[in-house]
Amino acid sequence: MSIIQTKDVKKWFGDFQALKGISMDVAEGEVLVICGPSGSGKSTFIRCINRLEQHQEGQIIVDGIELTNDLKNIEAIRSEVGMVFQSFNLFPHLTVMQNITLAQIWVRKKNRAEAEEKAMELLERVGIPEQAQKFPGQLSGGQQQRVAIARALAMEPKIMLFDEPTSALDPEMIKEVLDVMKELAQSGMTMIVVTHEMGFAKEVADRVMLFDEGQLVEENTPEEFFNNPESDRTKLFLSQIL
Amino acid sequence: MVDLIKKNAKSLQESLFSSVGSAALTIATTYLVINFFRGMLGFALTSDKDWLAVLNNMQLYMVQAYPEEDFIRVWLSVGLTFVLAGLSIGIWRSDDRVKSSQVFNSFFKGGLGVLFFTIIAPTNSSFMGNDGSVITEEVFSMETRLGILIPVAIFCVIFFSIRFININFTVNSSDMVFFYLFIPVALLWFIKLPTIQLDQNNERIIPDPVMPIADTTKIPWTVIFVSFLASYFIGMYLKNIKSIKSIMSLSWFLLPLLIFSWIFKKPQIDMSVVLGSDLPIFGAFLLWGFLVITFVNNSIFKKYYSTYLGLTFLLTLVGVFSGLPMLAKTCLLLIALFSVVVPAVSTSSQGKRSLLIVWAVALVTLTFLLRGGASDTGIVVPGSSIFGGFSLTWLLAIFGTYVSFPLGVLLALGRNSKLPIIRIVCTGIIELTRSVPYITWLFFASVTLAVFLPAGVEFNLIVRVLMVTAFFSGAYFAENIRGGLQSIPKGQYEAADAIGMSPFQKISLIIMPQALRAVIPTLVSSAITAFKDSSLVTIIGLFDFLTIGKTVIGNQSIPVNFVGHDRENLIFVAIVYWIFTFTLSRRSMKVEKKLGLGER
Ligand SMILES: Nc1ncnc2c1ncn2[C@@H]1O[C@H](COP(=O)(O)OP(=O)(O)O)[C@@H](O)[C@H]1O
Ligand SMILES: [Mg+2]
Repeated sequence: MSIIQTKDVKKWFGDFQALKGISMDVAEGEVLVICGPSGSGKSTFIRCINRLEQHQEGQIIVDGIELTNDLKNIEAIRSEVGMVFQSFNLFPHLTVMQNITLAQIWVRKKNRAEAEEKAMELLERVGIPEQAQKFPGQLSGGQQQRVAIARALAMEPKIMLFDEPTSALDPEMIKEVLDVMKELAQSGMTMIVVTHEMGFAKEVADRVMLFDEGQLVEENTPEEFFNNPESDRTKLFLSQIL
Repeated sequence: MVDLIKKNAKSLQESLFSSVGSAALTIATTYLVINFFRGMLGFALTSDKDWLAVLNNMQLYMVQAYPEEDFIRVWLSVGLTFVLAGLSIGIWRSDDRVKSSQVFNSFFKGGLGVLFFTIIAPTNSSFMGNDGSVITEEVFSMETRLGILIPVAIFCVIFFSIRFININFTVNSSDMVFFYLFIPVALLWFIKLPTIQLDQNNERIIPDPVMPIADTTKIPWTVIFVSFLASYFIGMYLKNIKSIKSIMSLSWFLLPLLIFSWIFKKPQIDMSVVLGSDLPIFGAFLLWGFLVITFVNNSIFKKYYSTYLGLTFLLTLVGVFSGLPMLAKTCLLLIALFSVVVPAVSTSSQGKRSLLIVWAVALVTLTFLLRGGASDTGIVVPGSSIFGGFSLTWLLAIFGTYVSFPLGVLLALGRNSKLPIIRIVCTGIIELTRSVPYITWLFFASVTLAVFLPAGVEFNLIVRVLMVTAFFSGAYFAENIRGGLQSIPKGQYEAADAIGMSPFQKISLIIMPQALRAVIPTLVSSAITAFKDSSLVTIIGLFDFLTIGKTVIGNQSIPVNFVGHDRENLIFVAIVYWIFTFTLSRRSMKVEKKLGLGER
């Protein structure tokens, strides 16, 4: 049973068509890696899944709910789908602890003690419990991104979206974030990861997709994708980045 | 200790006379400064000063002609404010601690200030008598002077030297507020202020032992101080009660309204009108708003929501031109505007609850203002608008900021809104208010506003001034805040969306706090400007603090001829203004520093 289903999703920014009909399915517990050249619509696509962008044609069904303009549906879906951004987007005026408890308290209506307990648990899981009382500005990039992952996990989402989570990080910090993501994947989380970390894709992904110019060019298992790609576009892409 | 002085002298030498060039610069600058301020220094050092006009007119300065038998209202208002402040300080008691050395240091500096003023205070005061002859009276005798000088000097020495003894303890910074306030209140019982009054035969009663200011104010201030302290403890005790903070915020919101009506009105409200007309209207609209909030996301109602909106606006239009009571008309207008906002906010139960509170408070406020505003004042002050002086200045500043700040937040959000109608209205209000000089608005308030208000509604001049001031500074606040809003990166909105926050939560928990933080300095300077600009009300015939000093006292001839005593009065006024604005800017710097921790 697939938890995300998209059918022929199209999206325009003004005259420019960013998505030219994307159809795909993601099964529960699956880890999907999306790669592709810059500007190919990867971010736009995964942002459509939690309605940060609106698609204009086609269908997106997440956990059985179709994305329409209905506010109720949007909020229901957003609380099922966690998202991690390239630029972390932590709330700079709140401590790490508050960043993680805020949505639990206001959206999930948990009480504070419960929320803080959950937050500490998550901070342990991402390996930075000692930073709880600091502000995001006092942390390194890698630590900030791990807080961002904890913040998304605090909502207990069924699906996690990652939009180039390591692209803004110094090389020595990439590993600590990828480790957290690997652990998450092993725990059975459904994940869609936009990344250029091919090592991560080989090791963790169940499937790899290539986007180009708003189209889904190739969809394959990692072994096939890297060793025996179907399309020439994929070969070109792999030759450029490897 | 000798070492210390040597060390200080050395660092002084290093910073001022490190080289020939800097020594020359130091000397030249000193010379220029002394020359520049020679007049001022001369003034400070001569005995040719006369503070009698200031001291003798303290009451005028504070409340102008407000009737004495109603002073209790003013005191109660001040007292209530302090009680609320005490409760709040208790509830929000900070854990910041101040070092003992800092406290001693501030005592030492304060003592030095007192010493300075005691030394330069004039001994004699000369003024023109009613018959035109110059009379010289001793107002500050040597004994009094020494009586202040000696204890204060000892006090200073103690606090200076105590810094070298290793006493190390810290004090909670909230507690310190009370200590600092305790000093002036306690001083009221000791300091005697010379004032001159007339007896029954129109003969002057010369200075001592009368000191009406301290005498009439020391008891109220002491009572207020004690209640302040008591409410602080009560606040600490209540700290852990759930939702006490929301209750306090709401009380703060309602307090000015209460005070306002309290000072302006003796309640002369016709209960039959209240029960027969106001309450039913209030109830009906409360219910209406409640229904809209509850059912707005019901799928059937939603389908017809635009029809509902259209009908409401039509009804409002008809209602406004019909013979309905004023309250019903304004409520109709309010519900129409409210209905536009509801769908966006009422998406979560949290949003619904806040909306309901907002709606109830708005209705209460409106009902209260309309009923109160339309009733007779009951306090009659011949030839003036209830009161003037510092109370008026303070009222304009506080109430102006109090109304205009939230208004500014709303206008700023409105100007950024996605709904074109809201955006256009807000932009219109901002641009219109900003492009007309404040003085024009003041004349508008005093002359034309009455024409625009519905028949039968008459507001006191001060209320009208407050209305235009609220919009005027509101527009400035709005533009400042909008600047802050623009500095928030798009990622913040997206992050809030992505964790499922409602638009209302997003704005109030994520966006606004950051936007306001970014513009604290500009907000404070706008507030300071508003405070100082309040003195412009003099041109429409209100007697603000400055006008009292300059015009009223300068023309006074009873009991003593103070004609032409502008100098000391203006200095006094300037000092008072300075104290308030300086405190405000210092506090805001502290807040900024504290918040700086959360900056990127
Ligand atoms: N808000 C926007 N307005 C206009 N064009 C946009 C917007 N967001 C993205 N685009 C365009 O859509 C295309 C796809 O962008 P994006 O999904 O961010 O690509 P990727 O993440 O694969 O690098 C790009 O050409 C980009 O310029
Ligand atoms: Mg991208």
